[in-house]
Amino acid sequence: MNRVHVVKSILWGLVGLSLAVAISRFAFGLGATTNLTDTTPWGLWIGFDVMAGVALAAGGFVITALFYMMRRKEFHPMVRPAVLTAFLGYVAVVCSLMVDLGLPWNIWHMIVFWNPHSPLFEVGWCVMLYTSVLLLEFSPVPLESTSRYAKIREFLMKFRFPLVLLGIMLSTLHQSSLGSLFLIMPFKLYPLWYTDILPILFFISAVGLGLMMVSFESLVSSWIYGRKPESHLIAKLGKAAVWVLSIFLVVRFVDLAIAGKLGLIFSGTWESLLFIAEIMIMAVIPIILFAIPKTRHSLAGQWIGSFLVVFGAIFNRINVGGLTMLSTTGDSYFPSWMELSISFGIVSFMVLVFLFAIEKFHIWDDRPREAESDPHARPQFSRGGEVWLGAPAVAGRTKYSFAFVIALAIGFMLMPGTKLHSSGVENVPTRAARGGDTLFVDGNRDGYGVAFKHQFHVDTLGHEQSCVRCHHMNLPQDKNSGCFTCHSQMYAAVDAFKHDWHNSPNGANITCSECHMDGENRTAASAKHCDACHTDLIPAGATITIEQYMAPAYTDAMHDLCIGCHREIVAQQPEKQAIALCAACHATAGPEYLRADVRERLKRPEYNHVVLPGVSLEQPE
Amino acid sequence: MDALLEFATGPLFRLTFAIMILGLARILILDLYGMWEAYRKAGDKTIPWGLTISRTLEWIFPVKRVINHRPIYSIVAILFHIGLLITPTFLFAHVELWRSGLGFGWWTISPMLAEILTIATIALGLLLFLGRVGSRNARALSRKQDYLWPLVLIVPFITGFVCANLTVSPNLYQLSMLVHVFSAELIFVLVPFTKIAHCVLMPLSQLVSTIAWKFPAHVDEDVATTLNKKGAPV
Repeated sequence: MNRVHVVKSILWGLVGLSLAVAISRFAFGLGATTNLTDTTPWGLWIGFDVMAGVALAAGGFVITALFYMMRRKEFHPMVRPAVLTAFLGYVAVVCSLMVDLGLPWNIWHMIVFWNPHSPLFEVGWCVMLYTSVLLLEFSPVPLESTSRYAKIREFLMKFRFPLVLLGIMLSTLHQSSLGSLFLIMPFKLYPLWYTDILPILFFISAVGLGLMMVSFESLVSSWIYGRKPESHLIAKLGKAAVWVLSIFLVVRFVDLAIAGKLGLIFSGTWESLLFIAEIMIMAVIPIILFAIPKTRHSLAGQWIGSFLVVFGAIFNRINVGGLTMLSTTGDSYFPSWMELSISFGIVSFMVLVFLFAIEKFHIWDDRPREAESDPHARPQFSRGGEVWLGAPAVAGRTKYSFAFVIALAIGFMLMPGTKLHSSGVENVPTRAARGGDTLFVDGNRDGYGVAFKHQFHVDTLGHEQSCVRCHHMNLPQDKNSGCFTCHSQMYAAVDAFKHDWHNSPNGANITCSECHMDGENRTAASAKHCDACHTDLIPAGATITIEQYMAPAYTDAMHDLCIGCHREIVAQQPEKQAIALCAACHATAGPEYLRADVRERLKRPEYNHVVLPGVSLEQPE
Repeated sequence: MDALLEFATGPLFRLTFAIMILGLARILILDLYGMWEAYRKAGDKTIPWGLTISRTLEWIFPVKRVINHRPIYSIVAILFHIGLLITPTFLFAHVELWRSGLGFGWWTISPMLAEILTIATIALGLLLFLGRVGSRNARALSRKQDYLWPLVLIVPFITGFVCANLTVSPNLYQLSMLVHVFSAELIFVLVPFTKIAHCVLMPLSQLVSTIAWKFPAHVDEDVATTLNKKGAPV
């Protein structure tokens, strides 16, 4: 396989994987796919896809400004790739945003309901407008391949200069407004990054990054198609980047010095290390590399220098976008594989579109062609299969669709199976109620329990005979099994029967035919009842009857049991109204045997889920 | 074995089933795209639709062929196909699994019919294999996969029958269930990449031949030019 086919197959594979993840994201929600929380609601998709995506698209306005406004005609070969990169970058940003937003279908609200005080309002409008401008700026290129749209093309060409100007203006606004977005977080963002001039820093770094992104993209695409890289132009861009990045460094450090934050750089914290790494990768090393003429003109120097700036700028946007907030919020966040896969998938898809455009339209002066597409070329057999897959176009689509389909299937495999039919209820196992005469009923052990006076209930409800008022089912060979034995989930109904355990050699080890009759479909309905074998399951005289094998959730079971009885009592004895209130059970302090400070803590209203306004915290007698 | 079974019925099932469905969709789309390309290039754009459709239908419902050519083999092959498709698709236990996973199920066959179809499919599969081994003409035409397919296809039927109908110890039950699931998953993976892909390509095969055997426009001139006989009548 040649290089183009290998690269494209990998990219198609990444797109396939991310498609499976996208399906799971839209079917089951952000909670099922991301590691985001209420404390860290902005993660990789904002830090990398949106923030870095916009920054990486800066090449579009930088190169158009160089070419159209500064009249640097030598950059002509780079204009079309740069505008296309910027356009695809913004489309990637829009796609990522659609995945990241909780209610993406409400995005149009921004157009109708204006909130001019919000930086996000400006960011949103800039994205919409600049994406449209880039589309208009680029569309003459695909339109020139057919004469059918010549009039549209001519019309667009008339407005080329105003469009370019508008694009540069919108970019300037947008690059800096992404920085303004973080001005409202002075207490969240680490001081080394937080500054009043964030918008200015974002803009300057975007210009430097734009220069280097165009260089990097040119180097990579030239490498893929085995074409001679535009080294002389990249060297010029490198020289410009030295100036821009130096200005960035000076502004950054002068600002830190004025704010008196220079000491923080060497404080040895995690953030100080991040800062040093970011400054070295994004500015210092590339400045040195591009300042020396020899490395500036060498291919290796250009590869390393441009890659470092691109990587460092992404790193910077991720730092501002959330990484340096983690120490303030105390949250721990690392993107899930699904988040990573979506990010890689979107980038891969945009690269594929870029390569498609290079092959189909007049982006480069010479369109890349595969040697084999010449009708007189001899067919190349694949190394592994000894098979000729066809002409390049056919062989290509055979390979890419294969990579795509296999990756998509792997994506389906890696989806957490329980989430495929989840009702969205969190999996919270319950545990035994502890205590003696007074049980502390706290299934999920989160401290918000109910002190249940077990002995008091036994005494008042009729001693030995009272057990069956509540206890309605036991494990085989057990008596008064705890509630948690069957109601083993806090918020979800559970299968109390455990079919597979009965069938497993590691469990009850019984054959199918012990319960299921021959010649009938094997269902729960047609099987033997439990008490056909387990004669001791149901205690004699139990007031609660079992109708199905699904045990209600622990909270439901507890509420139904207690409230049912308490209501009955109130119906018969209206003077005992108080015991039907929520606070009758919930507002008590913990049982006496708890430590004094724990009891005190449980008394505080904010520590109890159900304390309602005006409800006494003291237990009614 | 519990854990292995859980893996086989969970992630591995999703992987292999997705490969089958997506893989079949892939070859179908590639096929249609190739046909469209051929049609675009073709010099003569007339397609004998009536003939193509009637031939396709003749192959899908091969009533005429059953009588005219090798009737026993044809009947065995048709019945084998019926058992192969009907049994797993409409088996009650399978539909229950779909219902628990997807939230909906469909019509099912009775346990009695399932049992008969299963035994018939196993027997017919063996017959097809023996027929291929026994006939000299068939041997000459056969590749390795032609011998293996009938045998691979009946493995899940045998193990499924053991699980559903025989009274076996839980150990043996789990073992045969494991073989049942793994062999079915092997089949899923192989379907789009072997001759079993005919399950989606077969209805197109007549149309493909009709379209593909058309020469591109002006191809005669190109051939003459390549042979250094420009302008000569073709």
